[in-house]
Amino acid sequence: MINSKLKQALAALTVSAALVAAPVYASTDAAAAEALAKRVEEGKKLAFGRAEGNCLACHMMPGGTSPGNIGPALIAMKLRYPERQDLFDKLWGVKAKEVPYSMMPFFGRNGILSDDDINKIVDYLYTL
Amino acid sequence: MKKTLVSALALGVAAGVGSQVMANPHNQHAEKSRSDLVEYFKAKHPERPFEDYIHGIYGYNAERKSQWEMQEEFPPYQDHVDQGKALFEKDIAAYQNCLVNADKGVNKIRTSYPYFNDKTQKVVTLEGDINRCRTEAGLKAFGWKRGDLAKVSGYLAYAARGEKINVVINSEGAKKAFEAGEREFAEPRGQLGLACASCHVYNASRQARSDILSPVLGHTTHFPVWRGKWNDLGTLHRRYEGCHKNMRHEAFKVQGDEYRNLEFFSAYMSNGLEVNGPSYRQ
Ligand code: HEC
Ligand code: HEC
Repeated sequence: MINSKLKQALAALTVSAALVAAPVYASTDAAAAEALAKRVEEGKKLAFGRAEGNCLACHMMPGGTSPGNIGPALIAMKLRYPERQDLFDKLWGVKAKEVPYSMMPFFGRNGILSDDDINKIVDYLYTL
Repeated sequence: MKKTLVSALALGVAAGVGSQVMANPHNQHAEKSRSDLVEYFKAKHPERPFEDYIHGIYGYNAERKSQWEMQEEFPPYQDHVDQGKALFEKDIAAYQNCLVNADKGVNKIRTSYPYFNDKTQKVVTLEGDINRCRTEAGLKAFGWKRGDLAKVSGYLAYAARGEKINVVINSEGAKKAFEAGEREFAEPRGQLGLACASCHVYNASRQARSDILSPVLGHTTHFPVWRGKWNDLGTLHRRYEGCHKNMRHEAFKVQGDEYRNLEFFSAYMSNGLEVNGPSYRQ
């Protein structure tokens, strides 16, 4: 299923996620890391919650229970979307990123989520 | 403008199933949509026989099917069917010369609906007519969606088990009602930008969280349904409301024009399938 290149990327992501979570003390880097960790946590909530992103309704995501299988699994996101803007645009619903007859909602365009919420979800997706 | 459901969805499946329905100038479009849909599902799940589409999601998952078969051995809706029979017989005078084909037998009523009434230019549903008959006889109309109306409707479906759905389109008005229902079904609606067809054609058999998505083919055969989630018997329009809410779309009025057209379209698409209501759904 997952090819070895993806596996390596996933492993690399796990390492960097571990770094983010590691306890570091008062430095600006540490403060930034903490802020990011908070956004990742909030992004995860938005992605899993039924009332907000509800991504699990359609996508398998690591750690999510009883996911749907309407859309592709959301894994190795940094590898697949090296440009953050591309991923943001996909979630926002930019016309150029539209797949015809897709069920993927236009979260920004249709006012389902705010830009800040979408950014939080992107932060979270980059840990997958 | 979109032509048929299938061309609207660009499914690109070769059409051309033989149809038993007599062609007339008004049902050509509908027959094309119906036979395209049947072909589409045949191509998508070649192993699933046409007759099995009365079973919704249970034709897609053996494990859930066996749980469901156990449910159906002690049907949770049986009391409601019995009560529906008693309610029907109590006010038989109101229904006998009022519900279509009631004089031909209690098993002939369910499949006489929905039909298009050329005088009123509206689709008539079984539930709508039960209440019309009641009010015309000076009785109180039942509440929509659940309760006594679902019970009487459930009894009439039960009595009609094995009869085949046979919706007729033979006027300009009927053709328009079908097309309105088809558009409501095929076009994206609501904040999530989903169409009924996204779930019940394109993604039928896939899962949204742990819910398997049923095919629209057969959607009306087994209603009213006893839903585990409701722990109650509910009508087709009650279910429509639920799906609209999930689409973040304002629900239409139950038994209003939109849902009646949607029912007319869905029932026509299920032509030739057996009635097996009421049925259990999770
Ligand atoms: C109702 C179903 C549905 C929901 C809810 C949904 N998606 Fe999707 N998503 C899809 C489908 C179908 C596709 C594939 C077609 C496409 O790209 O539009 C997709 C594609 C994607 C892609 C592109 C995947 C790739 O391989 O390039 C990303 C990223 C994505 N979704 C993220 C999300 C996120 C994050 C959420 C929640 C905030 C979400 N989706 C909610 C159905 C859904
Ligand atoms: C986001 C996905 C989604 C959309 C869009 C959707 N539904 Fe559903 N629908 C479901 C799910 C999930 C169920 C419960 C499982 C199933 O399909 O039986 C369901 C059930 C049904 C049922 C009952 C099927 C049965 O066998 O008992 C009907 C009828 C129905 N939907 C009609 C509609 C109509 C009409 C629309 C559009 C107005 C619609 N749905 C839009 C997801 C959806």
